[in-house]
Amino acid sequence: MQSRSDYFVPDGSYWPILGSIGMAALLGGFAASLHDSLVGTISMILGFGIIIFMLFGWIGQVINESETGTYNLQVDKSFRIGMGWFIFSEVMFFAAFFGALFYARQLSVPWLAGEGNNFWTGENLWPEFKSVWPLIKMPDTTNFTVPKGIIEAWEIPAINTLTLLTSGATLTYAHWSLMDENRSGLIGGLIATIILGVIFLGLQAFEYIEAYQHLDLKLTSGIYGSTFFMLTGFHGLHVTLGTIMLIVILMRAIRGHFKKDRHFGFEAVAWYWHFVDVVWLGLFIVVYWL
Amino acid sequence: MNYIILIFFIFIIYSLASALYYMMKDGGGSKRMVKALTLRVGISILLFLFILFSFWMGWIKPAGVA
Repeated sequence: MQSRSDYFVPDGSYWPILGSIGMAALLGGFAASLHDSLVGTISMILGFGIIIFMLFGWIGQVINESETGTYNLQVDKSFRIGMGWFIFSEVMFFAAFFGALFYARQLSVPWLAGEGNNFWTGENLWPEFKSVWPLIKMPDTTNFTVPKGIIEAWEIPAINTLTLLTSGATLTYAHWSLMDENRSGLIGGLIATIILGVIFLGLQAFEYIEAYQHLDLKLTSGIYGSTFFMLTGFHGLHVTLGTIMLIVILMRAIRGHFKKDRHFGFEAVAWYWHFVDVVWLGLFIVVYWL
Repeated sequence: MNYIILIFFIFIIYSLASALYYMMKDGGGSKRMVKALTLRVGISILLFLFILFSFWMGWIKPAGVA
């Protein structure tokens, strides 16, 4: 690495324009496919393929540049700042959804039942309505699917919490192994974390099938169903992304990438996984317990 | 009981946030980040065990249909 004052200027690259073409094809194709256009569907699939190709190509090039020692301290710093902004956006993303749950549960549902200065709102709209959470007895069920029950905390959610907590421990083992220059520990820890992530996703999918088929708990089940699926669904999406990122890190670890004092890619993905883990713990407490 | 869970959670967020700070601030060679993350995992496991214990003791109940 050179000093922080020198800046690495990369060569011209065709990845950004290719990515733009891919995104335009994906979104334009998606819009057209909603109007039953076959060309639109093909364009959507093609656009998705281009984006995946671009991601592999661009990130692969960055990894290659990093491994050949092109980057200096200034570039290292810029990666860290970039990750900082990404994390900020993720925190805001989940804050909005937890906020939506809080608003519905603590404020709007009690207001509809006449709490605060909304006595006449309750009297005029649905005088029989009582504010309870989980809200599965909606005052007006015309447009909603009324669920028969909710997912119990001590079934799959508790097993999933244990799965993710264990994955946090195996990842920490991998992290310590990297710091102690124990390559097999690093690879073993990463493999265990990936397997636990896949188990989590499998159980989550099973839970959704259970909710839809046996409990009639759906995205259309009023405010409880929509907040439940929105929070747990987006969390599941993050676990999926985290697992893909961990697989990339595992491949790099197998190829001998990452040194004791030079492994920002590992650090960023590890922190992301810990973050997703903490979000789940928050969900487990707020959604299933309180 | 909710307050005890909240205190646990504040410590978890604090250790996670400090790991982020160390990641942003330190270079690759520092062990401060991995130590903070280890603390994060440790407190999270303690919290899970505490919830388990509280349930067993009957102090808390899962959210159910009233």
